[in-house]
This record gives sequence, C-alpha cells and structure tokens, in this order.
Amino acid sequence: MATMAMRRTAVSPLRRQESRAGLIFILPWLVSLLVFTTYPVLATFYLSFTEYNILQPPSWIGLENYQTIFTEDPAFWKAVRNSAVYALVSVPLKLVIAFGLAMLLNMGVRGIGVYRTVFYLPTLVPPIAATIIFLLLFSPAGGPINSILGWLGIRGPDWFNDPNWAMPALIVLGVWPLGVETLAFLAGLKEIPQDLLDAAAVDGAQGWQRLRHVILPLISPVILFNLVIGVIYSFQVFTQALVIGGFNGEPLESTLMFLVLIYRNAFRYFSMGYAAALSVILFLAVLALTLLIFRSSRAWVHYEGGQR
Amino acid sequence: MTTRRGARPYRLTRRQMIGSGVAGGAALAMLGGSGRLPGLTLNHAAAQEQTALRFWVPPGSPLYCEVQQEIAADYAALDQSIRFEEVQCLPGETDDYFQAILAAIAAGNPPDGMVIWDTPVSLGARDALVAIDDLMAASEHSQVEKWPEGLLASCQYEGQTYGLPVTAGLYGLWYNPNLLEEKGIPSGRESLPKTWQELRDLSKEFTVWDGDRLVSAGFVPNNGDFGAFELPIWSALNGGQLYDAANQTYTIDSETNIEMMDFMVSWIDEEYKGDIALVRSSAGWGGYVTEDGLPPAFQAGNQAMLQQGSWLMGDFAAEVEPVFDNWNIGDHPVGPSGESSVSGFWPNWMAIPAGAANPEAVFGYMDYMSAVGVEKWFNAIPDIPTNADAPAVLPQGVVESRGEEFAQEIMAFWDTQAEMSTAMWTSPVQGFANDRLGQAVERILTKAAAPAEELAAAQADCQAELESLLGDQG
Repeated sequence: MATMAMRRTAVSPLRRQESRAGLIFILPWLVSLLVFTTYPVLATFYLSFTEYNILQPPSWIGLENYQTIFTEDPAFWKAVRNSAVYALVSVPLKLVIAFGLAMLLNMGVRGIGVYRTVFYLPTLVPPIAATIIFLLLFSPAGGPINSILGWLGIRGPDWFNDPNWAMPALIVLGVWPLGVETLAFLAGLKEIPQDLLDAAAVDGAQGWQRLRHVILPLISPVILFNLVIGVIYSFQVFTQALVIGGFNGEPLESTLMFLVLIYRNAFRYFSMGYAAALSVILFLAVLALTLLIFRSSRAWVHYEGGQR
Repeated sequence: MTTRRGARPYRLTRRQMIGSGVAGGAALAMLGGSGRLPGLTLNHAAAQEQTALRFWVPPGSPLYCEVQQEIAADYAALDQSIRFEEVQCLPGETDDYFQAILAAIAAGNPPDGMVIWDTPVSLGARDALVAIDDLMAASEHSQVEKWPEGLLASCQYEGQTYGLPVTAGLYGLWYNPNLLEEKGIPSGRESLPKTWQELRDLSKEFTVWDGDRLVSAGFVPNNGDFGAFELPIWSALNGGQLYDAANQTYTIDSETNIEMMDFMVSWIDEEYKGDIALVRSSAGWGGYVTEDGLPPAFQAGNQAMLQQGSWLMGDFAAEVEPVFDNWNIGDHPVGPSGESSVSGFWPNWMAIPAGAANPEAVFGYMDYMSAVGVEKWFNAIPDIPTNADAPAVLPQGVVESRGEEFAQEIMAFWDTQAEMSTAMWTSPVQGFANDRLGQAVERILTKAAAPAEELAAAQADCQAELESLLGDQG
C-alpha cells in the first residue's frame, strides 16, 4: 500500500495531465488500430474455423478449412510454389540490384540528384499503371522487348501468355520499383565512416576486399531490413498478378500467387471462411520466415558497438 | 459464385463497353451526388404516397447506363404510384458490382431490384434473391410460358424462379459470304457446314501460314481462346451437357465431352501446327481486338467463320474498319455424337435481392421492362428481348447498313436461336465451374494435360464444390 501511495504521489498533476492529453491525441489512432486492424485480425482467426459466405451467419466447422487446404486443394500448392519461386528469385535479385544502384548513386558524379530521382520514380508509379506498361513492353505484337530481341535475331516469347515465361516477366515487373530499397542502402552507405574505408585502403584493401570486409558488414543491418521487408512484400504480390493472370493465374496457373488465391476464394467464390484460413496460413508462414531471418541475422548482421 | 463476364474473356469481346463503364459509372455516381439521381425523381409533391425504388445496374457503357435511367423514368411516368429514388449504374467491373450487391444484401440495405450479369441460380441457391414465381404468375407479361424454356432455366433452382432473362446475347456461326463464294460455296446460310467434320474440312480451305504466323483461317476452334462460357453449347452440339441441373450432377468427363475435346485437339494438331499459342499470337480470332492489340481477322477478311454472340451486330465496325459489311450468321454445326444444332445465350437478368423493401413494386418494373422497356434498351444496345410480349425490334445499325429486310431476317434468325438454346447458367456453383472449366480447356489445348484426364479432374473439383454447397444447405 505504501508503495502504491508513493507511486501515486510520484506522478505530478502536470504529468497526469500530459498523459491524458497524450492519450487523447493518440485515441483516434488507437481506435483505428483496434477497429480496423486488431478486430479484423482476430475475426480472421475466428472465421478460418467457419463456413461463411457473407449472406448467412458463419457456422463453426473446426479444422475443415485447413484440412481441405492441405489435402484437397491443388491450387493451394500451386500458389505456394509460385509465391515461393517469386520470393526466392525476386528478393535476392532486388537486393543485389538495389545495392548496386546505391553504390553508383553514392559516387560523387555530376547530376547525382537527377539520377536518384530517376531511380526512385518507378516506386511512385501505381501498380496497375506499372503492370499495363509492362504488358505493353512485353507484348508479342510489336512490344519493345520483343522488337529488340528480334533485331538480335531472337524470337521473343509470348511473355504473359506462355506459362514458362509469365513468372519471369512478373518477377522483372516486381523488381522494377526498387527506389525504397535503394534509398535505404544509400542511407546506409552514407553512414559508413570515411576513415574506416581510408584505413582499409592504407592496409592495402582493394575494391572487392573493402566491399567484402568493410562495407557489407557495416550495412548488414540495412540488408536485414530490406530482406525482411522484401520477403514480406514478395508474399503479398497481388495487383500485378491479378491484372496479368486474372483469378486463375493464367496462363496455366503460372501467375497464381497466394494473395490472388485468397482474393479468389473470398470475393469470387465468397468462401470467406476458407479465405480466412488461407490468410492465417500466409500470416504464420511469413511470421515463421521473418523469425528465421532474424534468428539467422545473429550470424551475419553487425551492429555498431558490436551489438547484435 | 460469380461468372466471368467482366473478366478476361469478356473484355476480349466487349471490352470497349466495359472499359468505358468505369468512367461512365463514375460520372453517373458524381452526377448522382449521394448516389441519387435527381433527374429521375418524379412527382415530388406526391412523393410521400409513392413507393420509392432503388435499382442497380451493372457497370456498362455510359450509353447502357443512360438508357436504363430513361426506361426507369418512362415507367415512373406511367405508374404514378412509384418513383425511382435511384437508378444507379455502379462503377468498376462486374466482380466489383457483384461484391457491392452481396455487401448490400449482407448489410440489410439492398436495392429493390437489379440487373445482373451473373446467373440468378447461384445467387438464389444462397438465399440472396427473392423467389418470384407468384409475382410472375400474377403478372401481365412474365408468366413462365412467355419465356424461352432454355433461357428461363438459367433462373430456376429447385423449383423456384429467381430472375427474368429480359434480354440476351445469342450465339451463332458468323461468316464472311465473300470468302465462301471465292471457294465456290453459295453465300446462303443453308450452305454452311452442318457437322463439325464438314466445318473442319471447309476450314482447311482457308488456312494460310506464313512461317509461324497464321495469316488466314476458316474457323479456329472456339476462336482460339476456348473459354468456359461457350463450352455448354459445344457440349450440347455433341449430344452432351456439362451440368445436369435436374439431378444436380456435373457430367464434365462424359464420353461425348471427351470426344469433343479430342476432336478440338486433333483439329489444332492437323490444321494449326498443334500449337494454339501460334494461332493466338497471329491475330484476334473472336471478332474483337485482343488484349495484346491484335486486330480481328474476321473484319480484316482473313477469317471465314467464327462463333460469336449477337452483340457483334453492334460492335462489328466499332474497333476496326471492316473490309466487308455483308456478314451473315448461321446455325452451329453438329458434333459427331450430336443430333441437332443448338444455340446458347448470355442474358441480362433482372432480379430482386433478398431483403428488398418493395418486391411487388419493383417486379412491376421488371414486368414492364420485359415487354416494353426492352425496345428502348435494344435501340441503344442490341441485346435481344426474349419475352414473348416484347415488340418486334430491328437493330438500327443493321437497318442502316444492310437494309430493313436483312435486319428483319436476322432478327427472325435470333428468335429461332433463342428457342433452340441449350440450358446454360444453371449451376449454383457457376462461377467456380466456369473458372475450373476454363483452366481445364486451357490445359488441354496447350497440351499440358490429356482431355480425358483433365476433364475428369475438372469433374471431380466441380462436383466437390457443388456437393459442398448442397451439403451446407442440407
């Protein structure tokens, strides 16, 4: 009791007033978080155990949705495979290209501001517009990509209509807007103390050695950030895949991504419970991957002052 | 649950209409302010005694939306007991519209009535629509016998009727008489091939390749883009069916359907280098510009025949300048196991959502639309009236380009097609089945799977989905 009384008296009226004001200020955000994020997340978990078509109340069916997903739905495994391939290829590709771009943008050449702007611009293009641009670029009917290949004597594929080429084209489309990753790398590169690089140079370290032993370790936290964000986003590819492949992931389900599968079940077949179960699986999978990356980061991410 | 009218295959054929629908719908929404269209509100003084109706229309072209509002205004002028609080042409695509309808029904705030491009069966099976049998029986124009049987079947589920197929696009075999005459074939429709084999034999006469580019063709099996929408017609032409509504059973992997797909595959092998991708990358074979921007071969005089809907009457010269204008249409040829020609359709259904506030009042409007309003509709967009009481109408574009006599003759032809239409759109899991069948056909045509094996897989999936729904209801 004495402790509690001391605590009460320890908080000044001004502090309490400030706390109240602070609470009031964040209240709209807090309400929004509870109503539009927390509730839907909890509802999704609940609905995943139900049969629910919007029109009738949800009815509890236990684990049936999960059982169907894992044992009777070939589209699920197709979407898992497509999403995994997309993530495995696009994330490393994006990291490497964004890092390379950041290295270039970190050079003190004239007009560097223009270059930075140009490389960031694709990030600002809405996904639908970007997808349509790529459909035109990759069009077999006079699209620039196939025209260039034609000049080189190569018959370009029918990119988005060929099941063998649709995914690579989708990955190229996904890698295109890498402004955010590049900026993050650039910020990391700017933080590297010049004296460290100079000291390495004095010790005889050449370009590759400086990159390998100085730059990469120092920007490893940025790599971790970009990797985690990249993996999360790569499993959330939706607009581009839907525009290109429709609900069925055409051609031949080669562009059927996990989010399209969820959307198809939820808003085309109105199997909300089933879609909720798919969402839960996606959530758990991404969570597991993220935890795995964080766990592995202990071995390869270096923080200032030696903290990991 | 939904069908794919707004999805890929539909955009291929009527994308101009859909594309402009977004802008048109948005403009109308802006016009309507809070979703109400003041221009349609009549007799304000007497408004309190009137029944206020809310009516929704799918995202069509601005012209489509405009004519829907005009017809509603005409009806409100005739029937002083009602007024239209809104006639809203919703923006977006068909699936967005469908979602809006279901959300409104779930929220307990549906419109009183609506036009839908999705089969009423799948909605009715989920208790999303009001059964209208009693209203039909007591109506002036909408009794059961006033509708072609095949078309009305698309609204019936377990003995109840959930919508009216007020207008429909009907399918036929379009042909270029000039090309046929060049081969010494008379241009009358009676000279068209009567069987699939005859069609295939004649088609060969027109096939010209330039390397891997198909320069001209007689007939490309289902326009090279074998979607699921027309599949019930081809199945029926071969004496089969995909879905047995009476017994609530899918019959996708029946012998006649396997034979149908085997026939198509062997045709592609024989005439089209076994590679449907080459065919697709050469031109548009469906009478419309493709998504890749390839112009239609039919209008360019490089395709003798194609299967297409009656809406092509209005769209024939919409996207490109045709090199000929004396097109004609004939019956579908019959498959090896078939006995007689059939046709198929894609209706504009009118229906009353569950929870609608004024079902009787809005049914009056639906009844009016079926027999009277459709004339104005047809004059703007040539979707063919299907009700027996609907007036004889002629497509003005055809009258102007081909003369009244031909227009009358072609409308008589469509009437015949309506009567010989096979049952379609009768499955309560139509949207799922369309998607799955589309996948199956694509896999077969691209040689990713053999017909028997793939149709069996599609059969299992569709039947499982159906039984899941029926089980939920049970």
